Amino acid sequence: MTPDCHSRRIAVIATVYRYQSHAQHFIDRFLVGYPRAGRWHRPPARIVSLYVDQKPAEDQSADRAREFGFAVYPTIAGALRCGGDQLAVDAVIIIAEHGDYPRNEKGQILYPRYEFFMECVEVFEADGRSVPIFNDKHLSYSFSNAREMVDCARRLKFPLLAGSSLPVTWRLPDIELPLACEVESALMIGVGPSDPMDYHALEAMQCMVERRRGGETGVSAVQLIEGEAVWEGGARGRWSEELLEAALSRSDTPRGLTETDGRVQNLLGSGELFRLARNPAAYLVEYSDGLRATLLMIDGAVKDYCFAARLKGVSGPLSTQFFLPPGPNVSYSACLVAQIESMITLGRAPYPADRTLLVSGILESCLTSRLQNHQRLETPHLRVKYQAPAQSQHARN
Amino acid sequence: MSHAQHIVDRFLDGYGWNGGHHYPPMDLVSLYVDQVREDDLSAERARRFPSMKVFPTVAEALTQGGSGLAVDGVLLIAEHGDYPKNDKGQTLYPRCELFEQIVAVFRSSGRSVPVFNDKHLSWNWARARRMYDTSREMGFAFMAGSSLPVTWRTPSLDLPFGARLREALCIGYGGVDSYDFHALETLQCMVERRCGGEKGVRWLQAYRGDAFWEAHARGLWSPELFEAALCRSHTLTPSRPGFNHIFPSLDEMKVLAADPVAYHYEHLDGLASTMILLNGLVQDFNFAAWVEGREEPLSTQMYLPMPPGRTTLANFFSPQVNHIERMFLSGRASYPVERTLLTTGLVEAGVESLFQDQALQVTPHLEICYRPPAASTFWRT
Repeated sequence: MTPDCHSRRIAVIATVYRYQSHAQHFIDRFLVGYPRAGRWHRPPARIVSLYVDQKPAEDQSADRAREFGFAVYPTIAGALRCGGDQLAVDAVIIIAEHGDYPRNEKGQILYPRYEFFMECVEVFEADGRSVPIFNDKHLSYSFSNAREMVDCARRLKFPLLAGSSLPVTWRLPDIELPLACEVESALMIGVGPSDPMDYHALEAMQCMVERRRGGETGVSAVQLIEGEAVWEGGARGRWSEELLEAALSRSDTPRGLTETDGRVQNLLGSGELFRLARNPAAYLVEYSDGLRATLLMIDGAVKDYCFAARLKGVSGPLSTQFFLPPGPNVSYSACLVAQIESMITLGRAPYPADRTLLVSGILESCLTSRLQNHQRLETPHLRVKYQAPAQSQHARN
Repeated sequence: MSHAQHIVDRFLDGYGWNGGHHYPPMDLVSLYVDQVREDDLSAERARRFPSMKVFPTVAEALTQGGSGLAVDGVLLIAEHGDYPKNDKGQTLYPRCELFEQIVAVFRSSGRSVPVFNDKHLSWNWARARRMYDTSREMGFAFMAGSSLPVTWRTPSLDLPFGARLREALCIGYGGVDSYDFHALETLQCMVERRCGGEKGVRWLQAYRGDAFWEAHARGLWSPELFEAALCRSHTLTPSRPGFNHIFPSLDEMKVLAADPVAYHYEHLDGLASTMILLNGLVQDFNFAAWVEGREEPLSTQMYLPMPPGRTTLANFFSPQVNHIERMFLSGRASYPVERTLLTTGLVEAGVESLFQDQALQVTPHLEICYRPPAASTFWRT
C-alpha cells in the first residue's frame, strides 16, 4: 500500500494486539481495509505508531509494524509523538479490551482506559494541540474517571467517540425509534459474562431510548437483582413480560429443546425460559424523566441481543435484534470502524460520548448494587444530559 | 434440521413474528412422510400435537381417511431424504410424483386448494412445466421456491420497481443441483422487478474450475459486481492466517475456492445474469447489480440465520411460512410461481451445461414472461 500523504496519521494505544482481540479487529481494518456500502474500502488514514501494554506469546504487533511500516513505541507519549518531541499524529485510538488485568470486588476488569487517556491528554496539554480520540467500549470502570475523561475532551475541545459496536451494527429488522417519541417502557435481553457483555447490552438499550422526547436527562436510580427475584420482578410488573416476549421473538438462538431437535420455542409462554436461564440478572434502570428500562441477562436461554419498547400511541411493541455477524469476520466491528473514520476525517464525533459516559455509570452502579445486597441505589451523579443525533447511525446501507 | 421440520414445526409450535410469538390461525391436521428413518421426528410431533394425524398415503392425508378432499391447503416438502441421483448428479426428489398424487385427489373431489411446493418444482423440466400447467388449468393457488427471496437483507433494500438493469450477479455457496437453486432465486427475485418485467432466458452456459477463472479474468461478469457481492458477505474466509477479515487477491481466491461454478445467462431482453458458487470463500448469498442511473452497484446480502454455526433456529423459514399462511387464507400466492418455474429450468440447464463439458445451452423453453408484485415481499418487520 502506498501511503497517501494527505491521509490522517493515527496513533494506537492498545492493551494487547493478538488474533481476535479488539485491537486486531479494529486496527487491521485501517491496515487492510474493510467492507463498506458494498465496496472494499481503504480508509484515508494510516496507522503510524502503536503502543501496546502487554505482549503475550501470540502478540502480533511486531509483525504488523514490520508489514505495514509503522513503529511500536515503548511509551504512550512516544507513540503520540512518533519518537519526536511534539504530538505527531492526527488522531488517537485507544483499545483497552482484552489482556491480563485484575478485577475489583465488583467484578469489573480494571482495564487502564482512564490511565491511557490521561497520558494522551498530558501530551496534548504539553504540546499545545489536541486531536480526536476514540475509546473502545466504556470509558472507565469508574464513573468519576469517565466523567473526568469527558470533561478533559470538552476542556481541550477535541472530539471524543467511545463505546460498543452494538449501537452501530445491522438491526433485524432495520428499525429506529422515531426521534422525540414517547417511550413508555423498554427492555433488552443479552447474554455473556459481566462486565464485558452487560456493557454491550446496556449501550444497545441506551442508543435506542436516548431518542425519546426531551432527550437524555440521565438516570436517577438503578438496581441489579439476580436469580428468582428476576422472575418475581416480572410477575410484579417491575419489568414488562410483554416486552420480554417481543425481544425473545427476535432471537435466532433459543437453546434447550431447539438445540435438541430443532423445534421453534415460545420460551416465555412454555416456561422453558425459567429452566434454561439458571442465573438471570435484571439491571433495572430508572431514568430521571420517569422512564423505566431493564436489561435482562439470560445466559443459557438464548445467544443474541434483542430490544423491545412500548411507545405511546403505537399499538404493540417495537422490537429488533442487534445483529452480530459471525466470526471470524465479525463485520459489526467494520460498522464501528466506519464511525471512527468518520470522526477522524470530519473532526466531529458522529454521536455523543455522553452516551458512553452514562452507560459506564449505569453499569458501575448496577455492579455496586449487586455487591451491596442487590439494593436499589440512588444515582444523583448520573444526571448526564445529552441529545441523540437526529440521523440514525447504525448500519443500513 | 430437514426442510419439513423447519416448515411443519412453525405451523405446530408457532414462530417469532412482528414482535410476538405467532401461532398460524390454522391447524395442521394431517401428515404423509415418504421415508421414516431412525432420526424421524414425525412421531414425536404427532404425539405432542394429537390434532395432526399421520397417514400412510398422500391421498389419505388429503382426505383424512375419508372419501373426498378434507383440507384447505397442502404443503409439499420434498427436500432431504434418501433418493437416488441420476448420471448428471441430480437428486431425484419425487416432487412431481407427490404433486400428481395431490392433484389426483383434487380431481376426484372436484375441488382444489392452494399448494406450496418447497424449492424447485422438479429436477426435470417437462415435469416442472406439467406441474405449473396443471395448477393453471385447475385454477388453484400455487406458490414455490426458496426462502432466500423472503429472508432478511443486509442492507434491507429491494431493487427499485421498474429499474433499468444492465447486469446482475449473485455469489453464494453450496452444491450444484442444491444451493445453485437458492442463488438463482436470490438473483431472480431481484431482477424480475426490472423495467418490463421478466421475459425469460435465451441461453445459459456453465463455467467451472479453470474455465471459471478464465471467464472471470476476461470480464465475462462485471468485476465491480463481483467485488460488491463479496463485500456484502459476512463469511469471507480469511486468506491469511492471523487476519480475521481481509479481501483476498485473485491468487488467494483460486486457492480458497478450489471448485468455482458459474451459470452465466442472458435474458430475452438482453440482461446478463450470473450465478456463482464459491465454496471455500463464502458461506452466504450476496446480490449485486448495475442499475441505470446509479454510479455504484446496488448490492445486498440475503441473510440466512443458519444453524448450527450461527444460530440455533433457521428463522429464514419464518417469512416463508408467513407467506404460505397468507396464501392458505387468501387463496392467492404472495409472489408468482413463474419465478420458480424459471429458476427450476435454470438449474436444469446449468446441470446440463456442466454435464456437457460446459457447453452453451439454448433455452427456448424458458421464454417465461411474468411480472412480480410491486410491493416487496422480503422480511422487513
